[in-house]
Amino acid sequence: MDLDAFFASVEQQKHPEYQGRPVVVGAQPGQRGVVAAASYEARRHGIRSAMPIAEAYRRCPDAVFVRPDMDRYRQYSRHVLEVLETLSPRIEAASIDEAYMDVSGLEKLMGPPEIIGREIKQRIHTETGLTASVGIGPNRLIAKLGSDYRKPDGLTVIAPQQVLDFLAPMPVANLRGLGRQTQKIFERLGIETVEQLRTTPLQRLQQHLGEKAAAGFSRQALGIAPDVIHSGQGRKSISKETTYGADVRDTTVLHDTLRRLSADVARTARKEGLSGRVVTMKIRFAGFETYTRQYKSTTSTHDEREILKTAWRLFQDSKLPKKPVRLIGVGISDWQDGQPAQTDLFEQPRQQEDDKQVLKTIDAVSEKFGKGLLQVGAPRKQGQ
Amino acid sequence: MKFSIQREALLKPLQHVIGVVERRQTLPVLGNVLLNATKKNVKLTATDLEVELQAQVNVAVTEIGDITLPARKLLDICRTLPEEAQLDISVKKDRCLVSSGKSRFTLSTLPATEFPVIDKLKTPRKFSLPENELHRLLENTGFAMAQQDVRYYLNGLMLEPTGKLLRAVATDGHRLALCDLAASVGDGESQQVIVPRKGVQELQRLLEHSDNDVSVEISSNHIRITTAELRFTSKLIDGRFPDYTRVIPKSLDKQLLINRDLLRQALTRTSILSNEKYRGIRLDISKNNVKIQAHNPEQEEAVEELEVDYSGDSIETGYNISYLIEAARVVSNENIELNLQGNDGICIIKQPEDSRSTWLVMPMRI
Repeated sequence: MDLDAFFASVEQQKHPEYQGRPVVVGAQPGQRGVVAAASYEARRHGIRSAMPIAEAYRRCPDAVFVRPDMDRYRQYSRHVLEVLETLSPRIEAASIDEAYMDVSGLEKLMGPPEIIGREIKQRIHTETGLTASVGIGPNRLIAKLGSDYRKPDGLTVIAPQQVLDFLAPMPVANLRGLGRQTQKIFERLGIETVEQLRTTPLQRLQQHLGEKAAAGFSRQALGIAPDVIHSGQGRKSISKETTYGADVRDTTVLHDTLRRLSADVARTARKEGLSGRVVTMKIRFAGFETYTRQYKSTTSTHDEREILKTAWRLFQDSKLPKKPVRLIGVGISDWQDGQPAQTDLFEQPRQQEDDKQVLKTIDAVSEKFGKGLLQVGAPRKQGQ
Repeated sequence: MKFSIQREALLKPLQHVIGVVERRQTLPVLGNVLLNATKKNVKLTATDLEVELQAQVNVAVTEIGDITLPARKLLDICRTLPEEAQLDISVKKDRCLVSSGKSRFTLSTLPATEFPVIDKLKTPRKFSLPENELHRLLENTGFAMAQQDVRYYLNGLMLEPTGKLLRAVATDGHRLALCDLAASVGDGESQQVIVPRKGVQELQRLLEHSDNDVSVEISSNHIRITTAELRFTSKLIDGRFPDYTRVIPKSLDKQLLINRDLLRQALTRTSILSNEKYRGIRLDISKNNVKIQAHNPEQEEAVEELEVDYSGDSIETGYNISYLIEAARVVSNENIELNLQGNDGICIIKQPEDSRSTWLVMPMRI
């Protein structure tokens, strides 16, 4: 399931007067920045995501230009997932506007795939006002390509015996994991369609792409891809971010924000009994230039001090441009669950035990009196 | 600047210094090598702002001068010219002409004044020691340095000149390597400095197994090591190394001796079936027997048994097998001494009757 022109459609829901008009979500004309999403009306003027905003303005000065409202989009996204959950619990949110759903077995309840697809679209539309394009196929790749096949408001069902014919005329660029470099290689080899890829000898592909990539693309060309849906319970990461009202240059403010966000992330992780090896720091500068930096440790953590320390170090060491910051965020992922745990020379188990007590206390206080009141090593504000 | 030189004479110093020329530099001049031509010799210097390498070649110079040239291009030209070719190098205005036989190359240059050089160290502690001894010190410890750890002071090798000793310690928190070298390290209080990982690795590459003396200079923020052919200078990591003496147990009650080669081979074989990500294995030690066990997510299993000299209680402990292998690799004695402490405890590896080196591995809960 893929929501059509998601950000722009949400804006059109929120502001009915925008309906039927070209809507461009992103930076404001006259500023630097790019298009984050464009409504179908705007796309008719040739406006595309990631296009510089000045270019978009040149193509259609009459369009409605709005700043993105991520909180609202997330709300809508969650709502859509809830709608999907009324049909099946086996749902995987792939991004803010895409989700996979395992509908095998639903036929007995609801009827053939076409009926299921139509029901999904209908329910999303009734509940949220948004339109979605749905693709149904024997695996993730085919379902995804199906959802892209007819947009907007499309429904494409590909039965297993139709997979080869469905793929054959597609440009190879539609396959997964094909970047600009690989695209160039395919161009050099004269491979434009999946059909052509399928008839190219594997050995020739291996010479140009390497063994692993060659095997991967050949499998995709035959429509072979994973069909597992990782449903909701197994969250892959916990992250929090803040967008500033006014852009921030002061590093002490950034550090304070990271401290607060780290505490939020750590508390959620402890609540869910998770502990992650990877810490991610995300930063967006004025004008939408976004960077993420990750650090993978051999040991896992759900301790805010550890998360803050790593995130701050990532911030300082990443040779990022010195520009005003619009958004900053932190997250952890790569859970350690019953995996071997390497002990550390300088962080003795005793100290780790003590730390557990500290963190437990923080959690208990937050639970009772509200979060953020008790923090580890928080600076005292002036006048307090 | 103008001089004539044989290919081999230029190639060797170029290869020595090229290690610090980064492929993607922040400053264009860091992709260049600095040439200082005096009457009798030419000095070649390369730097990444952290580590600086300087090599010197004796050659008759027709016209003295200083210039910087694209390092990799010069090296590649040198390397691909035929053996024993004669090169003529001359600089006119902002171009450098390199010619040899029927080959001619015109290279771009940047002025020598733009090249950042580390001059004399300020009030350094000075001492000298044999090149092969220093090499052994680094070999015995360097592998245990941390890599991109948040605890930035672990991403290097700690050198501690004290009394009649030069001590080196490296640790990534999971294992630790310590080695002492008898040397008169000069007067003054004992001092701890941390040489960054990159510098240590370059030194390991450059030092040779000769018994010539090399000179060591340590100032508050630099270390400089000068051999017959080379001058190595590195910034020091500005941080405090953790108190390693606190974490090394004075004595452990369980001790056993194993033949080094047998242990190395058994560990290497076992590692094939250890979990690729965590590298965990179990050591089961009972009377005169050590059992090494590994398994992986594919449910494959490796078991090796070794006869050893041991009469204490049975012990079971998990370790990262890579740490054990890397420590066993640098033991020069034919036997390895393992010191253990009950279940799931620390492991200290030593060479029998040699207190100069200590390797310590923290346990892994498996």
